[in-house]
Amino acid sequence: MSVIARTSIGRLAIQPNNRKWHKATAILFAVSSLSQIAIMTSGCAQDALDGSLKRGGVIRYGHFQEPPCLFGGWVQQWYLQRQYSDNLVARSEDGKIVPWLATSWTVSGDKKVYTFEIKPDVKFTDGTPLDARAVAENINGWLGNDPDRRNPTAAPYLEDSFESATAVAPLTLRITLKTPFQPLLNVLAQSSQGILSPTALKRGLAVNCNSPVGSGPFIVEKWNHGRNVVLRRNPNYNSAPVNAKHQGPAYVDGIDWRFLSDQTIRYGSLLTGESDVVYDIPAVAWNDANSRFTVLRHITGGTPLRLALYTARPPFDDVLVRLAFAHSADRRAAVELSFLGALPFEANGALSQSSPEYISGLGRSYAYDVGKANQLLDQAGWTEHNNAGIRLKNGKPLVVRISYSSAFLKPDGEQALQVIQQQAKAAGFDVRLQPTNQADFFAGKNLGPNDYEVVLLYWVAPGAEIFRISWKPDQNGERNRFNPSRYQDEALWDVIRKAEQEFNDGGRTSLYQQAEREIVEKAAVVGFTVLDVNLAISPKLKDVWLDRGSVGEPVFYDAHFADKK
Amino acid sequence: MMPVNIPAHNRLGWLAGRLVSGASVMWLAATFTFLVQCLLPGDRAQIIINMTSGNVGEAPPGELAAVNAKYGFDQPLVLQYVKYIWGILHGDLGQSYQQHRPVVDIIAEQIGPTIILALAALIAAWVIAVMTTVLIAGRDNMWSTLLSGMQVFLATVPPYWLATILLVVFTVQLRIFPVIGGNSPVGLVLPTIALALELSGFLGQIVRSEFTRVLEQPFVMSSRARGMGELGVRFRHVLRHAALPGITLSGWAIGKLLSGAILIEAVFARQGLGGVLVAATSSRDVPVVSGAILISAGLFAITSMVVDLTYRIVDPRIKMT
Repeated sequence: MSVIARTSIGRLAIQPNNRKWHKATAILFAVSSLSQIAIMTSGCAQDALDGSLKRGGVIRYGHFQEPPCLFGGWVQQWYLQRQYSDNLVARSEDGKIVPWLATSWTVSGDKKVYTFEIKPDVKFTDGTPLDARAVAENINGWLGNDPDRRNPTAAPYLEDSFESATAVAPLTLRITLKTPFQPLLNVLAQSSQGILSPTALKRGLAVNCNSPVGSGPFIVEKWNHGRNVVLRRNPNYNSAPVNAKHQGPAYVDGIDWRFLSDQTIRYGSLLTGESDVVYDIPAVAWNDANSRFTVLRHITGGTPLRLALYTARPPFDDVLVRLAFAHSADRRAAVELSFLGALPFEANGALSQSSPEYISGLGRSYAYDVGKANQLLDQAGWTEHNNAGIRLKNGKPLVVRISYSSAFLKPDGEQALQVIQQQAKAAGFDVRLQPTNQADFFAGKNLGPNDYEVVLLYWVAPGAEIFRISWKPDQNGERNRFNPSRYQDEALWDVIRKAEQEFNDGGRTSLYQQAEREIVEKAAVVGFTVLDVNLAISPKLKDVWLDRGSVGEPVFYDAHFADKK
Repeated sequence: MMPVNIPAHNRLGWLAGRLVSGASVMWLAATFTFLVQCLLPGDRAQIIINMTSGNVGEAPPGELAAVNAKYGFDQPLVLQYVKYIWGILHGDLGQSYQQHRPVVDIIAEQIGPTIILALAALIAAWVIAVMTTVLIAGRDNMWSTLLSGMQVFLATVPPYWLATILLVVFTVQLRIFPVIGGNSPVGLVLPTIALALELSGFLGQIVRSEFTRVLEQPFVMSSRARGMGELGVRFRHVLRHAALPGITLSGWAIGKLLSGAILIEAVFARQGLGGVLVAATSSRDVPVVSGAILISAGLFAITSMVVDLTYRIVDPRIKMT
């Protein structure tokens, strides 16, 4: 009965001009859902919806940004890589590391040697066997010197601790570290560390960017640049992670991964039934999407989208001025007003709320308080004012230039910065906004040592292991380019390294939280908002999920249509 | 009108002159794009590394050196320029920094839909302009005033704004056309209208002005006196004379339509040079942008030549000099 009801919905859905369609669909869908729940609770649902019933159809997915390459360090590339490659291990929603290509693993007593047993009979889609040698070749490439093979995500995490990856038996892989690094498995579980065919990798970066070969549930068939990536089902798929909802090949025949950069087009295509699922719901359509469609959302872990204050020179080399800036504007109101509820305010600038080490409430003490901001600035010696009301110290005005780019900040976020700009003026800050186009931003415009006082950036990760990347001080003359605050604190770095070498979960969390508190207390970063992954999904499409254990990549492997196309 | 016989050597001379002129335009465009590549602020190697990795900030010197060597950025500018021009002469527009593919392949893949859109819009603009002109020129009634005002409005409204309005009304609200039309004929309708309406406003105004002047010529009165119907007079005799300024404008219009198509394609998520150019501009993929500029300059030169030839067909009194 449940199946009949769903088929009826499918038939109605192909009548786009019927004005009663949405209401009828909603009612039928509600009836269908209720009947389905009843069946599920009776334990018969799995029998009724077996694999053959779920098979077929192509998912039409509307994504907003086209990456330059189908794999790499940018999160836009991770989303695609998640569909066609497998990782050594997976990280489930509760943060536990679970088997994927590795069926089991052991860690040596000194925590420096990891030995993985690789799943047998797995092949890349070009026929190359996926064995220990293939995985070792990938890992050594990520951390080697060949710029075509180097992995821009794995390298900053692992290059200090990594020694070698070797195949000690056909299906036994050994990773040896110079120093213990507990987050190793978290790093290996991120989609950018998906394992690619070593045979295919030999074709060079140019070819691999366009047609990468993995062992995942889908195969990259064709990338029509400027339009879409066509992914088709891998009929021989036999290496799903244990946290997937099923094993064996995917249910759908493929994915039409379309690049629809304009949000009106993207969301409009879902409204008219031309897409089955779309990424990044526009803020103005957030409530509408929640009322019409299935909405999935994951606030990514790691570094939130925060204001990084340049601490290596005046005025933010003085912690009092940094604190004053934090108090000088109602950042919560600015974010809520601008994003209309589509993105929340995040007071904790150090760590995003889906990270296990996240301390709720941290940073809330920096509430909007102009009196406090004034008091702190007086204390810091910024006591004079010019005619425009801007504070002066030794004749120099208190200028704060905020650099940002659409590559990292959604368009609505600019309004929030304008609110901060206006409010901070009351405390005597001369805030100047430096919007920078994506190309210039990547070229380093407005990002030089003397170019900004504040910059908006994020770096997604499952949790606090991101601290290594953001807070590692410059060492041996080597500048940490991923530390936009330029905050150099050896004591903080010691705590982070201790956390990385602590294999007791409670002890490690405690150390990371110690670092988190210190970062927020020193106001090297100030909370603003978060980065999220959100999808609006047609009711016809079931079982799409976000990989919340990683960074929220959309997963279409378990998805199936309620009415087959 | 008496046809004018033009000696063959004059025709060849004219053609040679036009080819030299076209080649000069191409060379200037190539030199301009090369200078743009070199003079734009920001290190090219830095952008390539950061766009690929998704990072910002200064890359390590070792990584920068490898990329500089790979793309030849470490060579003297004169040598880079010579290699660039030599490549163009051999049909090589270089490699895309971001897609790691030959620029020629990228443009060849995308230019077809853009040209189809631009030509469809040109034809549609002419049809709209001619129909409205024939109906309203030389007449003093409410329709004439209304259509004339509409032409002014269309000539001034930004096409991307019009495109967004058409998109929301006809796809999302009325659902007459698909949101994602792709390269199908149905998908061509709204982008064509969005692009054509502005041009039809320009063409209409210019053709109407000439049309009104020609309507007062003695040969028009003579045609009427011979008993020819008003529509016949307007289509057979007046339009041919009145169309010349519009044809002149069509040469300019091709350039405008190509650049306009880029914006319209982005709004309608339509395949074409638009999407590629927007992405290439956002990622400072200069070889792709330069290649697109060169191809556009080439098309513009060819179009100018075709327009000049069209004069000769429409009005044989015009000499090829």
